[in-house]
Amino acid sequence: MTRKEKRSTLQGLLFIAPWMVGFLALNLYPFCASVWFSLCDYSVLSQQVYLGIRNFQNLIHDPVFWKALTNTLLFAAVSIPLSTIVSIGLAVLLNQPAGAQGFFRTLFFLPCLVPAISLAILWQWMLNGQMGLVNMALRPGLDFLNNLFGCTLRAPDWLNDPSWALWGLVLTGLWGTGQAMVIYLAGLQEIPAELYEAATLDGTSAWQRFLHVTLPMLSPVIFFNVLMGLIGALQTFAVPYILTGGGDGPGRSLLFLATYIYQNAFDFWNMGYASALALVLFLMIAILTLTAVHFGEKKVHYEGR
Amino acid sequence: MQRNSIWPLWICRGLLVGLGCLFSLPFFWMVSTSLKPLRETMKMPPVWLPLPPQWQNYPDAMAAMGPFWLYTANSFFLASLNVLGTVLSSALVAYGFSRLNWKGRDGLFFLLLMTMMIPFPVVMVPLFGLFRTLGWIGTMKPLWVPAFLAGAFNVFLLRQFFLALPRDLTEAARIDGCSEFRIFWQIILPLARPALLTVALFQFMATWNDFLGPLIFLAREEQYTLALGLQALQSTISGTPWHHLMAASTLVVLPVVILFFFTQKTFLRGIATSGLK
Amino acid sequence: MKYSPHPLLTSTVALILLGLGWQGCSAGKPKGQAPVVLEYWEKWTGFEREAMARLVDEFNSSQNRIFVRFLSVSRIDQKMMLATAGGVPPDVVGLWDVNLPSYAENNALLPLDRLAREAGLREKDYLPVFWKLCHYRGHQWALPSTPSVVALHWNKKMFREAGLDPERPPRTLAELESFNEKITRKNSDGSLAQIGHMPQEPGWWMPDFPSWFGGASWDGGPHLLLDSPSNRAFFQWLQSYPARFGGSELFKLRGGFGTFASPDNPFFQGKVAMILQGVWMDNFIRQYAPEGFSYGVAPFPESTPHPEAPLTIAQTDILVIPTGTRHPREAMEFISFVQQQKHMESLCMAQRKLSPLAKVSDDFYRRHPHPYLREFQRLSQSPRAQPTLCLPTMREYSNDLIIYSNLVLLGRMNGEQARREMAARQQKSLTAKLDRWERVSAVRTAVWDQELRP
Repeated sequence: MTRKEKRSTLQGLLFIAPWMVGFLALNLYPFCASVWFSLCDYSVLSQQVYLGIRNFQNLIHDPVFWKALTNTLLFAAVSIPLSTIVSIGLAVLLNQPAGAQGFFRTLFFLPCLVPAISLAILWQWMLNGQMGLVNMALRPGLDFLNNLFGCTLRAPDWLNDPSWALWGLVLTGLWGTGQAMVIYLAGLQEIPAELYEAATLDGTSAWQRFLHVTLPMLSPVIFFNVLMGLIGALQTFAVPYILTGGGDGPGRSLLFLATYIYQNAFDFWNMGYASALALVLFLMIAILTLTAVHFGEKKVHYEGR
Repeated sequence: MQRNSIWPLWICRGLLVGLGCLFSLPFFWMVSTSLKPLRETMKMPPVWLPLPPQWQNYPDAMAAMGPFWLYTANSFFLASLNVLGTVLSSALVAYGFSRLNWKGRDGLFFLLLMTMMIPFPVVMVPLFGLFRTLGWIGTMKPLWVPAFLAGAFNVFLLRQFFLALPRDLTEAARIDGCSEFRIFWQIILPLARPALLTVALFQFMATWNDFLGPLIFLAREEQYTLALGLQALQSTISGTPWHHLMAASTLVVLPVVILFFFTQKTFLRGIATSGLK
Repeated sequence: MKYSPHPLLTSTVALILLGLGWQGCSAGKPKGQAPVVLEYWEKWTGFEREAMARLVDEFNSSQNRIFVRFLSVSRIDQKMMLATAGGVPPDVVGLWDVNLPSYAENNALLPLDRLAREAGLREKDYLPVFWKLCHYRGHQWALPSTPSVVALHWNKKMFREAGLDPERPPRTLAELESFNEKITRKNSDGSLAQIGHMPQEPGWWMPDFPSWFGGASWDGGPHLLLDSPSNRAFFQWLQSYPARFGGSELFKLRGGFGTFASPDNPFFQGKVAMILQGVWMDNFIRQYAPEGFSYGVAPFPESTPHPEAPLTIAQTDILVIPTGTRHPREAMEFISFVQQQKHMESLCMAQRKLSPLAKVSDDFYRRHPHPYLREFQRLSQSPRAQPTLCLPTMREYSNDLIIYSNLVLLGRMNGEQARREMAARQQKSLTAKLDRWERVSAVRTAVWDQELRP
């Protein structure tokens, strides 16, 4: 490097010094340490004992891990598409010239501001089997169906029923689709009007316009948000943790991978095993991101390409 | 641009009002429950408007939480420090990655992007050990010192913004012999005020909302944030005090909602830009 | 160019510096002639807390070298572990006996062998079962604070209404079941209106229940004894419930039970006539049961009765010293203050529980507010009083037991099949856990030995 290059590199490094320190202390060191811990038995108050891959062997045979993994993947697989559809739907609705756009935009967005603790406590109350608002709203409808078809549908005791608890959580997540909606709304507003006009002149229906103009134009936004959403969903921790009071939920139906990692680390003080679990989570996210980026490059339309 | 609506106007309006009600119902229910006496919260059919409203629930909930004002102060303290640290460090680092050309810049930036893939559970155990060695467990340092070390996401955001700023301003200053730091501090930063404000707002919300961090790193009750204080209220043996819980939850939500109403435009614009990339 | 700082920025920075300074101040404490300040974390609230608070005040005023700061802490087991792991432990903590094994193994507790001996606390001063609960793997880790044993509680009015002598409790399990059938009443639609006894109510001692069938579930070592006759009999007994009363009817009845600490407690409401409960039950009866509620206490019946040495399960709240405290000697001084007979009895009497000490004063019996204290104290002195089951894999074991017992009680699974499945799973779990301990024990016990060195 020339002297000038050296000077500019030094200057650059000085500017990014805070991040460099952060990278070493908060990213590199912990990541390497985590890999080391995953190969050991480690409870903070005593030395690590090297165990080789035993933690990973235990992991494969651990039914609780598989349950947590299943819950996490199921939740992601259901809530991401659902919330994407809802948020795009809301954005399209808001984009119509029906007036009071700002007001409704704020209204739909407000739930996203609620801190996790308040959200979880509120929905714990909303999903209460006897007195929750959700069931109070459901009961008349279910009674009507029961009378009509003679069946015996009952409003589920959401947070105590192993088959329904996860869906209750999905419902909670749907309340927070406002944030994605804001993004999609902005995306919709960037679509040039000429495209719609051209399509209308061709005599297409609204639905066809949606499929062939709106969706492709939105696809980079959708792609990015679905990816971010998935990564976030895989790391779900706060809301189910608070909802279940730090536990697993009925029949372990609300045990997420991040919760299981936390439990192993700070409830059972089995930090080696927790690190192994965390590495599995990391691998899932890394593979997901790399695959998505790779495929996304091909399928996503960018304006002007 | 006005387009024709895809549905008749009354359907759109009807849907908006209906969905609007649906989305605000939980809020309404939260506040409504917070103003009822405990027995009334469990009455069936439900009481929608509690009369007379039990304003007493609020001081009672605050008392039940313990040192409520201390927790609030802690939350504000952490949020402010995080905002300060994030804005300063992210801006500095983003400047280094965007307005300067130097060897290795892009490689290191790619490394930064890669670090966004590391989920918190991977690093939380070693971080706990690190903070313990530093003697920081028992203080609030683990929750604000890292803010001064520039998080990847904010650097990314600000870098996008800085890249869009015209080159001529800085070139002129450089020719005049200004130091890079002065250019950063006196030219770029003021121009970046809207982006910085967005970062500040996001960081405030994120810190106020943070649950896992305080859960792990705060060992002394005097340092608890509101989130942890509220969690402590959740578990009591003799039936759950829903009226208190709702009152306390409302109190925790209030600051962010108020902040949002003052900064709506910036906030929503920031979210839109962050999503559109 | 003149640099003019942004006003908002300046004020924020100023506020933050203020906050930092205030933090720093509260952290530092003036040294010198000031007494040693101990932090004592307890889980108790309400009157239980008051009972200990009085003792703490007494201790503080009796001398001026040590000052105990008494704090009521929720989720104490978790918080204590976090603080200890973080290097900022309190000096004395009130835990539950079930925490002892895992906390000792994780090096969170200071072994107290030497400290306790130097403080003059000896085995002979305690009832054997409570002393045992404070020991693990050959070391002492705790001293008892307030203990409890369990017994049969029965609703005298429900006995009378069923034509049974209200003063005569069942003495064998066979009698329990015959009483049960006499008391149980169904509604016209076939659902249960009330029941004499159901194992799930309250179901807090499921892992210990097989003991009433004559044997233990664990040999204390590597083997679970789930294949023993007593365990087989236990699962058969569980199976008899859905067979006699209907699995879904049992669960429907249970679904209608109110919270434990409220007037809707099924025992107070007359929905369940006989329950297995601890010495604290009287406190809840006093507070929530209806006027004129009359109940009796007797040893919970076994399959074969031992009237001279009845069986009971013992538990105790314990006082421990976390590792890393700076004042272990002073902490022990406070703990041994609590252990003195006079103080221990006043604490236990105020919490309306029995005393863990071998010697019980007449005053204790005379002034104690619990109407059945003598019965409970007698049970705790029984040679067959057992510590509650404390497996290394207790969490998984009790989770599994809840799941399997519920399946059997619902009538969805055969008792024998449930027992076999659970035995296979739990034995595997236990073996794996012990295997893990084998590998790490050298490192962990080395820490114990180091802490015990003078």
